[in-house]
Amino acid sequence: MGTTVAEYLGRLDSGRRTDLPETTAGTLRLDAREDGRTEHWYLTVADQHVRVTKSGDDADLVVRAAPAVLDRLASGETHVATALLRNELTAQGDIQLLMLLRRIFPGPAGARHPRELGRAAMAGREGRR
Amino acid sequence: MSRERVHVIAGNAFAISDAQGDVVEDPTTPVGLFSFDTRFLSRWVLSVGGEELNVLSRDDMTYFETRFFLVPGAASHYVDADVSVIRHRSLDDSFNERITLLNHSTQPAEFTVRMDMGSDFADLADLAEVAEGRELRGRAVEVAADSARSQLVLRYERERFVRETVVSSTASADVDARGMTFRIRIEPEGTWETDLHVTMTIRGEGGRDLRRNLESHRDHVRGGMREDLAAWMDGAPQLVAERAGLEDTYRGSLADLGALRYMPLAYNARVPVGGLPWAMALCGRDSIITCLQTIAFTPELTPATLRLLALLQGGQLDDAHDEEPGKIVGQLRYGESAAFADRPNALYYGAADTTPLFVVLLDEYERWSGDADLVRELRHPARMALDWIDEYGDLTGDGYLRYQRRNERYGLLNQCWKNSPDAIIDACGRQPALPRATCELQGYAYDAKRRGARLAREFWGDPGYADRLEREAAELKDRFNRDFWLPEREYYALALDPYGEPVDALSSNIGHLLWSGIVADDRAEAVAEHLLGPRLFSGWGVRTYATGQQPYNPMGSHLGAVWPSDNALIAAGLRHYRFDAQAGRIAAGIFDMAQTLGGAVPELIAGYERSRTKYPVQLPAAGRPQSWSSGALLMLLGTLLGLRPTGGNLLVNPALPAGFGRLELLDIPGRWGITDAYAGDRSSTAAGRRRLR
Repeated sequence: MGTTVAEYLGRLDSGRRTDLPETTAGTLRLDAREDGRTEHWYLTVADQHVRVTKSGDDADLVVRAAPAVLDRLASGETHVATALLRNELTAQGDIQLLMLLRRIFPGPAGARHPRELGRAAMAGREGRR
Repeated sequence: MSRERVHVIAGNAFAISDAQGDVVEDPTTPVGLFSFDTRFLSRWVLSVGGEELNVLSRDDMTYFETRFFLVPGAASHYVDADVSVIRHRSLDDSFNERITLLNHSTQPAEFTVRMDMGSDFADLADLAEVAEGRELRGRAVEVAADSARSQLVLRYERERFVRETVVSSTASADVDARGMTFRIRIEPEGTWETDLHVTMTIRGEGGRDLRRNLESHRDHVRGGMREDLAAWMDGAPQLVAERAGLEDTYRGSLADLGALRYMPLAYNARVPVGGLPWAMALCGRDSIITCLQTIAFTPELTPATLRLLALLQGGQLDDAHDEEPGKIVGQLRYGESAAFADRPNALYYGAADTTPLFVVLLDEYERWSGDADLVRELRHPARMALDWIDEYGDLTGDGYLRYQRRNERYGLLNQCWKNSPDAIIDACGRQPALPRATCELQGYAYDAKRRGARLAREFWGDPGYADRLEREAAELKDRFNRDFWLPEREYYALALDPYGEPVDALSSNIGHLLWSGIVADDRAEAVAEHLLGPRLFSGWGVRTYATGQQPYNPMGSHLGAVWPSDNALIAAGLRHYRFDAQAGRIAAGIFDMAQTLGGAVPELIAGYERSRTKYPVQLPAAGRPQSWSSGALLMLLGTLLGLRPTGGNLLVNPALPAGFGRLELLDIPGRWGITDAYAGDRSSTAAGRRRLR
């Protein structure tokens, strides 16, 4: 079991996120729905910072999913775009903000840097010599 | 034997039928009604009295509307047919077909009209594999026939993923699981008609269509498609040409480009798709190249494309999607295999050229439009793209842009425009090891750094970064001219393997190097001679791969065939180095090809010698229309006219080959407002200012 969305957003660094465009700003609300109960996370993105609160206020984009789906996003197991296509996750409002979740949440564990492949190719040649 | 295909297009939806208007399963080509990479109808066959219909004529009114004029029965008794049938088909958000029967006799007549209907909800990506011989996976489709409402519902469900086709008829119908039957009586000289309406639903929240919840799509009304097409055509420059047929070819290409635009799910503007039938989706490379080709004609495509690509820019390291931070997307799909990540193509980043070309396009657009705000708005994605080149694109640390897939099952082996698995190969047929550095990628990287430097200096207030980029570009050019040049053959190698060994094939890629400006001045002439020499130039255009090398095959997509999009970049590169006559020969060959074939410009033609076949040989792999093929003709016109923005003005420096006569391009949009360009070949009276009409 990887990181849950609660753990991930709970400890999200409030410092500058240089991977976010400085011109992007907006509010996203994540609604984790299960058994008639809903838990909210409210993300305010501005000036390369992400602030997380637990408000249920209106947001530019509202994303709804089962807690397990949001957990998989937070652990990098699921891509936000495929979750949307599978209808595991619904989005209402300014959909252009949806891809921000790809930057805010981590990528899949164990992904390789392309240079690892380059190094492997060079090492492979050395080995053959 | 392939049958004639008829298509209508609306956004990324399209329908392909045979000449009668019927859809009958064919494993070799995708036929039916498609939207968002899913087939919503795989069977759609009209019959009258149990007889199939034969087509008398057809009227392709616009890209989204066609009429078929038909009669029942065999060809022998057309002549005194006493009934005829009109199918009037149109596609917008839904598929519509009005069926009209005319009774030409003096007696009342009774008919049984039948439409067979069915859907397999196949993923377009599956069909591409079926065309290559793989078996199609069957899907359990639920069918609900409702005669009371004259409605047939077809539905496919997997977990929460639901796709639904609803066919309804305005005339009452007997509906069964396989279609609708109409038992009708028509008075003498009378008519009967029904409107069949087919909706295609992608299930989202609360059972509603996914797109209805998205503001961008809710605000978008498809009502005025005719007006929209007219505005598109009117908004582009007008061509007045002495050469017969050229104006029609130009307007046809413009109309094709108008057809090949769609609004992505998470977006609010239309961008180019690749083309029919396999690439009715955002393909990063095709979209960027199309924009580069069309800036002088339809500049509105470019900011929409740049903003979308910025939105979808890679954010994480992800092996399955071959994604890295800053990388520009290669493909965006919505089919079932994308949704369930059976394939990585929901957002696939396996392309090494899209990222530098993104920067090239941003700079080029500013030069034409003067839109400094866009350059500032997209500073961050452009900077991430430039950083990507060195941080993630240089796999072996030797300063060259390379590629190697990390998704070894579905990832693309070759991540450059020649992306077939055997495209990068030496003259003896040996494939180099990975990661590979193809030559044109180095040209794009060089160009991106130089243009990035201009943007940094003039718009981002970062002269230090600009200096760094310029220094890196100069070093890259020196290094490239040392390592890729084959002195005894006098051309640049197709690629380097990871150990720096050149792949010695002679290929069209060397033409892209001229376009990017990375060719040393004293080597440009040798490159131009190769491009127009007998091994590369077929008479219609430059072959992807030169004859006389073991892998050469005139029918091989990237090993001998001729691509208009490739040739458009090459011709622009030749003029860049002042090889005007050579650029003119290529442009003339491609225009001859397009005008000889008529209709939409195909993506590629066979590489046979023109003098041998006299006629351009089309290949089954070649789709049409294709955005970067239609765009190629526009770019070639711009190249012949020598259009180049300089400061606030448009410089016109024409070089027309013989046979073009006089040429006028009126109302060219740009930072100058609108302006005109006039040209004439040597036979016409010197580039007169007098208008032709």
